[in-house]
Amino acid sequence: MNTAALLGPYQPESAFAWIGGSPITCHRFLSEVATLADQLPENATVINLVEDRFRFFVGFAAALVRGQTTLLPPGRAPKVLAQITNDHANSYCLIDGQGKVEGLPSFHILSTYRNSKEHQFVVPQIPTKQIAVVAFTSGSTGTPRPNPKTWGSLVAVAQHTGARLGLSPTDNVTVVATVPHQHMFGLEASLLLPTQFGLPFHTGRPLYPEDIRSALGSAPPRRILVTTPLHIKACVTEKTQFPKIDFILSATAPLPIALAQQAETLFDTKVFEVYGFVEAGSVATRRTVAGDSWQLLDGISFAKHSDHYSLRADYLREPVPFPDHISLQGPRTFFLQSRHADLVNIAGHRGSLGDLNRKLNEIEGVQDGVFLFPGQDERSITRLTAFVVAPGKSADQILSDLRTVINPVFLPRPLYLVPILPRNETGKLTRESLLELARQLQCEDHRGL
Amino acid sequence: MSGVSPLEEEVAKLIVQTLNLKIDPVQIQPEQLLFGKGLGLDSIDALELSLAISQSYGYHIRSDDPEITATLASLRSLCTSIQKNRTK
Repeated sequence: MNTAALLGPYQPESAFAWIGGSPITCHRFLSEVATLADQLPENATVINLVEDRFRFFVGFAAALVRGQTTLLPPGRAPKVLAQITNDHANSYCLIDGQGKVEGLPSFHILSTYRNSKEHQFVVPQIPTKQIAVVAFTSGSTGTPRPNPKTWGSLVAVAQHTGARLGLSPTDNVTVVATVPHQHMFGLEASLLLPTQFGLPFHTGRPLYPEDIRSALGSAPPRRILVTTPLHIKACVTEKTQFPKIDFILSATAPLPIALAQQAETLFDTKVFEVYGFVEAGSVATRRTVAGDSWQLLDGISFAKHSDHYSLRADYLREPVPFPDHISLQGPRTFFLQSRHADLVNIAGHRGSLGDLNRKLNEIEGVQDGVFLFPGQDERSITRLTAFVVAPGKSADQILSDLRTVINPVFLPRPLYLVPILPRNETGKLTRESLLELARQLQCEDHRGL
Repeated sequence: MSGVSPLEEEVAKLIVQTLNLKIDPVQIQPEQLLFGKGLGLDSIDALELSLAISQSYGYHIRSDDPEITATLASLRSLCTSIQKNRTK
């Protein structure tokens, strides 16, 4: 049976995690894992709701050691959780606070945390074919679907990503992350990436620019920041002085080149983006300011089909179709065109929501905006709906600007000015949440008549 | 708006403008909860609002401030903190 180590090359007394300015050693982490693994319930699957990044990873590792699978729900919405627990009835919920999932037994991680005794320093080996995680798609391309991930695939993605970014165990950089650890990118980049390279991570989850500054400041001198375009925008707007960092890694949404440039100047660093999707994990990276082309990670290759590309890797059970339209620049580099599910057809004109969204967001004064294709309406030609955050601009002004950059058949009817888009905690917009927003706004319109 | 200080009036306007809420600033009660069940703001609003406050008053909101939960509870508590920490 092939196995892969739970962790990269740490010494027992290596700093494994930083809580504020205090290190936790690798030996202490492994002792916590061993203690917890002895006491976890017998269930096959676990929903790990632990808020603290370090304790979450103790729970994740203990579940791996016990051969249990961690479920990563796309959010905390009760209906979504109900659907997942319905399909995985033999589950329990691991918590460190008040969180719970209706209908599942809860196991409080702190019940063993304070009593853990020192175990021998042994890094567990985990079978590479063991299903470590089931990640659920967020729903932006349809109904949430389970995506099982083997331990071998998680390790391979972390190693290929780290190798691309030039990580080395001897560099002793600390990963500081603003992203939550309970979704695929957060798990990969804030936990598996450092721990597969024998590097420490910071346990905080900073939100405000001042938090980010302080988290970076409390980590040892060499750090990398794992974050999203939203947080980068906040930091750039604040123009606070930030401690020196080796590089920024951004994901979850496209990072505009101008913003990447501002961040490179402000932080005096390089900004990289990682491109991935739940079915395959991280698959490509680019330095945003260097241009639009993405470079595939090592270990992954394209397979060409008649009308699309898929990705092949030793660690993927079967080729995974690429969710976006791409054009190849070379055998291992590509441009993103648009997402398949984003194609719309209005009165015979084909368009891409991704493209339209980009044009909308490029309009001066538009802070955030999105198009929604509500679905076919039998009575008339269905038009697109748009939701736009643009303080100080009127709907008419935005429409007149849009008219100059898109085919008028795609002009939204209606265009709603909204205070904020219903992004979930990872910054994604689901079709469901947009449809719900449209319903609410329609009701308000009717009441106002 | 009786019993509302000029700063509270000003910050209520800032909240409505920044988050583009479709309400009149005078509708924000000084003791009403801003987040969760009250005005229904979330962490992304908090991020937006913190930027507006630091730009208007030079007060940088941070999560590790022991008073942070109390500060962000209501318009009144927020204004008390702004008053105490403002640099402009």
